[in-house]
Formats: sequence, C-alpha cells, structure tokens
Amino acid sequence: MKHLPIQGRTLALLVVIVPLLALFVYVGLRSGPLAPVAITVMTVESRAITPALFGIGTVEARYTYKIGPTFAGRVKNLEVHVGDQVTAGQVLGEMDPVDLDDRLRSQQAAFRGAQAALREAQTRQTYAQTQVGRYKRLFAAGSTSDETLNTKQQELAIAAASLSAAHENLARIRSDQEALVTQQKNLQLIAPHDGVVASRDTEPGTTVVAGQAVLELIDPESVWVNVRFDQISAAGLAKDLPARIVLRSRSGQTLSGGVLRVELKADAVTEEMLAKVIFDELPQPLPPLGELAEVTVDLPALPFAPTISNAAIRRDGNSVGVWQIVDEELRLTPVTLGVTDLDGSVQVRNGIKEGDQIVLYSEQALTSRSRIEVVERIPGVSK
Amino acid sequence: MSEKGIRIEGLSKRYGKGDTAVDALKHVDMHVAPGEVVGLIGPSGSGKSTLLKCLGAVISPTAGRMTLGDQVIFDDGWEVKDLRALRRDKIGYVFQAPYLIPFLDVTDNVALLPMLRGVPNGEARAKALELLTALDVQHRARAMPSKLSGGEQQRVAIARGLVNQPPVILADEPTAALDSPRAMAVIKILNEMARKFQTAIIVVTHDEKIIPTFKRIYHIRDGVTHEETGEGRGFE
Amino acid sequence: MISLAGRDILQAWGKFVFTGVGLGLLIGVTLSMAGIYRGMIDDAKVLLDNSSADLWVVQKDTLGPYAEPSSIYQDTWRGIRGMPGVARTANVTYLTMQVRQGERDVRAMIAGITAGEPGTPGWPPYLVAGRQITRSHYEAVADIASGFELGDRLQIRRNHYTVVGLTRRMVSSGGDPMIFIPLKDAQEAQFLKDNDAILQSRRRTEANPAFNKPGSPDLLGAVIDSQTTNTYVNAVLVQIEDGYSHDDVAESIRRWKRLTVYTRAQMEEILVGKLIATSAKQIGMFLVILSMVSAAIVAFIIYTLTLGKIREIAVLKLIGTRNRTIAGMILQQAIALGVIGFVVGKIVATLFMAPIFPKYVLLEPLDSIFGFIAVVLICVLSSVIAIYAALKVDPAEAIG
Repeated sequence: MKHLPIQGRTLALLVVIVPLLALFVYVGLRSGPLAPVAITVMTVESRAITPALFGIGTVEARYTYKIGPTFAGRVKNLEVHVGDQVTAGQVLGEMDPVDLDDRLRSQQAAFRGAQAALREAQTRQTYAQTQVGRYKRLFAAGSTSDETLNTKQQELAIAAASLSAAHENLARIRSDQEALVTQQKNLQLIAPHDGVVASRDTEPGTTVVAGQAVLELIDPESVWVNVRFDQISAAGLAKDLPARIVLRSRSGQTLSGGVLRVELKADAVTEEMLAKVIFDELPQPLPPLGELAEVTVDLPALPFAPTISNAAIRRDGNSVGVWQIVDEELRLTPVTLGVTDLDGSVQVRNGIKEGDQIVLYSEQALTSRSRIEVVERIPGVSK
Repeated sequence: MSEKGIRIEGLSKRYGKGDTAVDALKHVDMHVAPGEVVGLIGPSGSGKSTLLKCLGAVISPTAGRMTLGDQVIFDDGWEVKDLRALRRDKIGYVFQAPYLIPFLDVTDNVALLPMLRGVPNGEARAKALELLTALDVQHRARAMPSKLSGGEQQRVAIARGLVNQPPVILADEPTAALDSPRAMAVIKILNEMARKFQTAIIVVTHDEKIIPTFKRIYHIRDGVTHEETGEGRGFE
Repeated sequence: MISLAGRDILQAWGKFVFTGVGLGLLIGVTLSMAGIYRGMIDDAKVLLDNSSADLWVVQKDTLGPYAEPSSIYQDTWRGIRGMPGVARTANVTYLTMQVRQGERDVRAMIAGITAGEPGTPGWPPYLVAGRQITRSHYEAVADIASGFELGDRLQIRRNHYTVVGLTRRMVSSGGDPMIFIPLKDAQEAQFLKDNDAILQSRRRTEANPAFNKPGSPDLLGAVIDSQTTNTYVNAVLVQIEDGYSHDDVAESIRRWKRLTVYTRAQMEEILVGKLIATSAKQIGMFLVILSMVSAAIVAFIIYTLTLGKIREIAVLKLIGTRNRTIAGMILQQAIALGVIGFVVGKIVATLFMAPIFPKYVLLEPLDSIFGFIAVVLICVLSSVIAIYAALKVDPAEAIG
C-alpha cells in the first residue's frame, strides 16, 4: 500500500521514461538499415504508344550561293544589302576593272597591229606570186636561169607561210581580246537565282582573291532544318515521316513539318544520324540561319501491348527486368523490351502481362532480401 | 558487574610515534550495564571523541581490553575480525544531527539496518514500524526525512539506533540542538528504550538540561576518566 | 535489500534525468560524428554502386574520374567493347559545378550519361519519381538532395534542362547531389564556356594571321569549329560478362598502353583511401576527442554526485554497510546515467542531427551497439574515481 508522494513521483518518472524508451525503440527499428525500404507499385496497362524520335538541328538553307569574282581584284560597288530580295540575272555588284581597260586597249592595238601585219604578208605573197608567174614566162622564153626561177618560187612559198602565220597571229590576238572582254563582263556580280541576300562579306574597296565570297545568297523557299539523331535511338527514321519543329527563339510555338530525306552519310565521330526536315509552311519572319531547333519525328503508332514506365526497368547482371512482389517476396522478372516513346513508356514484349503489379520507384537499390513497404509516394518527394 | 553490557579496562590510545606521540586515552576504565543510561562529559580535546570512536568500534585502541556482552572486542592489540559487522549488529548510533539518509523514507531509514543483515524487506519494515510506533512517529512512516521536524528526526534516529536491538547504543550530543522540552523528551525516551530492550546507553553530552537526569556520569579530562554519581532526577 | 542507487535517483530524479539529457546531447553528437564518418564512406560506395560499373577506364596514370581529372577520346569505347569478357561499355563525364534554377543555385555533380536505355552503365539504377531520360538533349534527372522537383527548369552553362526524374542517394564522393544529363550536353557543358569567352576566343583566332588566310576563306571557319567541339569524355564504364574475372579483363585492357583501368575494389580504395582520407582522419580525431570529453564529463558528474553524498556515505559505513554495497551504489548510478544518456543520444542523433546535417549521416545498428558498450565502459571507468573517494571515507567522520 503506497502513499501519495511516492505514487506521484513514480508516475511522473514513468511519464518521462516510457515515451523516451518508446521513441528509442521506434528510432531503432524505423531508421537505418533495419528500416523497410519504401517502394511504389504500378499496374501494367495495355496501351498503344506513339514512339517518336528527338533530335536537335540547325536551320540551314538548302541552296546557298556564294557570289564572288573569278580573279583577284577590288570590289568596286555593291548594289544590294542583307535581306534584299533579288531576281535571277540581277546585277548585285561590280568589281573594279583596275588595269583591265588598259589591257583591253593594248589588246585592241595589238589586234590592229596584227591586222596590219596580215595585210603586209598578203601584199608580199601577192608580189611573190606575180614574180613567179613572170619568171615562169621568162624561163619558157629562155631568158632566165633555172636557178632564178627556183629562187622566186621559194620566195613565193615563204610569203605564203608568212601569210598563214599572220592569220594565226591575228586569230590569237582576237581570242585574247575576246577573253578580256569576257572578263570585263565578269566584273559584274550577277545573281544566278532568285533569292534573298543572306550576308555581305566584304565592302567596296576591299581586295579579294579569286573564289572569295563577296555576297551570299539563299533561296528562302529552301530553308530546312538539318537534324541530328543519336544513332542508338533513331530506329525507324525514314523519309516522309511527320515532324514537329520548335525553334529555340520561339519556344512556345510548334511548327509542323516532315522528314525530307535521311542522309546517306552519318557522323561517325559523334555517332549521330543526319536528316533534313522541311517546314510544311515557312514560318514568317524567316528563322535566321544557324538557329537551333528541337525536332520531334513521330513514328507510326504501335498496336496495344503491355506498357510500363522506363523508371521501373532495372538491370541485374546481364538481363534487364522489373521487380515484382510475388507471395510477399521480391523477385526480379526478366523482360524483353520493345519500343519506347518520348514520355518514358516502354512496351514489353514478354516477361510480364497486363494487370501485373511491378515496383516503380524505390528508396534504395532493391535486392531479393530487402524488407519493403508499399507507399503512395516516396518520402522526400513533394507533390 | 554483570556479564552483559559494555566494559572497557585500561583502554589506551596513542597517536603517532616517538617524540611526537600523543596519548589521547590513558588507561580508561568504564562499564555500563544493560538498561543503564550513563553520561560521558568532557571538554573538547579531552579524548572524548577518541573514546567514543573506540567504544563505537570505529578505531582500535593501542592497549586495553573491551568487552561487549560476552564478546571480547579489543585485547591489547588484538581485535575482532569484522569491525564493520560488529558495528552493524552490536552497536547503535544516535548523533547530534539525525544523519538520516535523505533519499530513503523514514521507514526505510530504520529498516535499512536489519536489511543489511540479510533480514527480508517485509520483516525489516515491520520491525521498523514497531519501533517507530514505540517512539510515537509512526504517523510519519512514509515521509521523507526532510519533511520532519527536528524532534521527529531525532526520534527516527533513535529508532534506527535501536532496531537491531544492539547491546549498546552510543549517543553523541543527542540533545544539543533541541530546546528544553524536546531535550527532556529525548532523554526520557532513551531511558525507556534502555529499560525496555535492556540496552546499555552511553550519552556524550554537555547539555546542562539533561545532565541532572543521569544516575552515573563519567568525566574525562586529558585522556583520563573518573566516575561520579549523578543526581538521577526525573524527566520534566 | 533495497536499491540505494535507485532510491537516490528516484528522490532527485528530475535533476538526474536532466543531467542524463545533457550527457545525452554530448553522446548524440559523438554518435553523429561516427554517423558522418560512415556517411562519407557510404557516399563513396554509393557513387561506385550507382554507376553500375565493374571497371573504370580512365586516362593513363590518373586516379580519375572522381579523384583526378581524366580525359580520354570519346571513341575509345569501341576498342574496349570488342575485348573478351566485356558485356557493355558506356562513355561518361563528370563535372562538379553550380546549377541555376530561377533565383538560386546549387552545387551539383553533373554526370553525362550516354544515350541508350535504362540499365546502361552510368544511368541512375533506380528512381523515386518521374522517368528516365528519353530525349537526347535538354532533359535531366536530379537527386532530391539538390532540392529540385519534377518539372523544374535548370540552367547548366548555356542550356536549360527540364527535370523529368528524381533519384535518392545519388551523390558524389563529396556529398554533392548528382544531376544526370545526356552525354553530348555534358560534353558541351564541360568544355564550352559561356558566350563571352567564346566570343573572345573567336576574336583571338581571327586576329591570328596563320588561321585567317585570305587565300583560304574556309580555314578560319574550320579552325573555330574545331575549337568549339569537344571529343573527350572522362571515363568509360565497363560491365563484364558472367564468368569472367574482373582482374583478368582489367589487365587485358590495361595493355592498351594509353589507358589506366580500375576495378571496383581499386576505385573504392582510391576514393576511401585517398579522397576521403583527410576528412576521415579529421572526423576520427573528433570522435576520439568527444569520447574523451564525454568520459571526463561523466567522471566529473559522478564524482560531484558522490561528493554531495559524502556525509551519508560515512553514516552508511558507520552503521555497517559493506564497501561493496557503497561501490555498487555509485556504479549503478553511473551506469544509469550512461543508459539515459545513450537513449537520449541515439534519439537526438537519429531524429535531429541526421536529417538536418548537410552531409549524409549513416547510423548503423552495429555502431549503436558498440557505442552503448563504450558508454557503459566509460561510465564504469569514470565512476572509479568516485568509488575510490567514497571508499577512502573514514566512518569516524560521522562521529564528531
């Protein structure tokens, strides 16, 4: 029979000690390696997924014309600026002739000189001919020697050869002249095709070498996206598949397009396949060349099949599989996976079927001996 | 006189050696019969504490003989083996301050002694309660010592001293801190208990109020005692 | 016989429990220290486990890819893939940097994972929310320790990434949370600087006449392109077929003289032995110091408690209590104090220290058991001083 003072004291002590011990036991069992691993499960559903391919590309022009002189020279003037529309045949600029005119005049003078030389050769040949005729008559009359006749005949032959040479010389000089005239025509930079001026690389007064581009012209109708797809996830990429294009500067807008062609040459170093994707409707204003775009190519939808999220896939040694709860125990079921879509859904070809429950998320790596606890959401993940 | 009680003959105690030796006790003779209450009076430095310590089997004397009932405790250098057990079983102590164990309640303070001897808890507590009743403090049986008045504490201390029914009780200034009526009450109780349990009680005191009550008194000075007859007055 | 220790504690239990709680906080800190040490080792182990690799192939004579920077050519894997015993290979890059999201930024280790499917080495082996990366660019899987959530847009260098999945306990050996992004994006992040630096480097290249020849108009473009591509990765992760010895396969790869190969055991030694060694020593020292402090404090407390009872102890001795019993009383009190301290310490360490500490605190049950034994031993030893003082008390002190 206890009296109150002791009763009260013991009671107060118990009120402190008991919860402390309970907390201790709780802490011992619920944390650290003795605690069960929280997992979430999902049910395998049968769904038809629409796989897609994702790649990053740059906006390029299919046809780019680099216009420049065929010889070294100075740019005299340029008629167009970046962004101007031009038509085929339009004169875009002009190169400085420098000494071309002088050379042409010199060539013309040479031509006239050659013409004069030709006339001179002609005259000589005519005279030699006349001489031969005369001496032939004299020889027939016996008034001259054989030798003299031969000499005159030889002179005729020489004169004839000179005449030929003068003809050829004239032809050569005429060709040279024509070449300079053609070059003179080439002074002008002519647009080979309709298009838009994309860049003006040099300004008037700059000296350029042969082949250097002074202006770049693109055909705006031929703007396409040069897309790269990782080879390992590019199965099914083919011509004419529909595509969705998102330009980097217009990230809210999805433009539609299609695959024009898949390049025959892939990039071996970066292990990517290349494809060209064109816009169904050219976006206005035109996207600048070189802008990045995200391209999603939709592959044809697949028939219904059991589908799981790719977060459930685990690897164990050489096989991939999913964890299943069978008779209160964990078991890794190997599965053969099929196609996956861009949202992470993967079709399963065999291993599990529709309606099976598999482990989706887990707090830690699982083994067949793990103690588990099924929860709605893994602790630490907010809504 | 009788075989029981406490008797010392020629008890001496020397501290130190050679030139610096001090003789605290010099051939002290003393005896107290069962049921007797004697006084021990002496100034400080008289060897009073040393005598009390020898009587209490706390220290051993250098020479002399001490007998407790039938048992020889000290005999010229020889001493009984287990002084601690002797203290536990044969000697009771009452001090000026009650020196109760503050974390044990009143009953357990008294019952502790029999428990130390191996007596089962229930029996020990029953015995304790008996004594507390005899001393009229049973109503405070479950209280903690700090809650008791000075006089009540002193009575509990006396109960503790008596619980093992030792043949001798040493009381060191039991009334020094008490006022006249309480002091008389204490000495009265001591006498009653002595008679009841046939215990020999030695009271060390210099309290003028209770000295007249002793029938026999030992005076001690410079290590030497001499006996005297007291007034033997009643307790009022 | 009643329990003297029990009665004494019961009488002033509030003070005793309060003292025990105070000691418990100290013990809690000590247990947490041990937990931090284990956590650091676990961080290293978890990093290796999560990469799902059996072998790490890195630049020759480096301790990479975690302990030292390592750069190997990105098509090195092709030569390794064909070797006998190699089941799978994967390129991987690691870069620790600040990741921005809105207003705040977080220090994280960016892991570049090669394109493929879940189960590829380097990919997070399990998720706690969301899904794995499916697109080849601009998606990320982040660890919840970073504080990011599904749908957050992160900025890493010049690109933005959407968080599509979350992981737990994917951390670097230093405890930084990991963020997984596609390899090509990671290569760009590791190599490509911000726009300012790129412009500067372009300007410098243009100013260099060797690269800017008027006769070769395409030379400058080609040079600038080559400066801005990154064809390096930090390591190749290798998984080995069943039945092959890891050491054998590693040795055969090592014979490619320009590469260094580490097995799991060797990587662990590097991380734990070299990377964490300094921190481990620091923590080990702290542990020792705290244990000594705890011992001293327990000794002090018990000694003070005993001294406060010295009068009672003298009386107990006088009335015939055995020395054994008195020593037992002191010892029991010391142990009771230790037990309370340990219980409080374990609770504090698990419920308060572990969740709020910035690094991972791993409290193993074996450590707790050892800790308990250590606490009890310390209490027993600490009480020796007090017991010595108590036994020296002369019962005569009780008399005058």
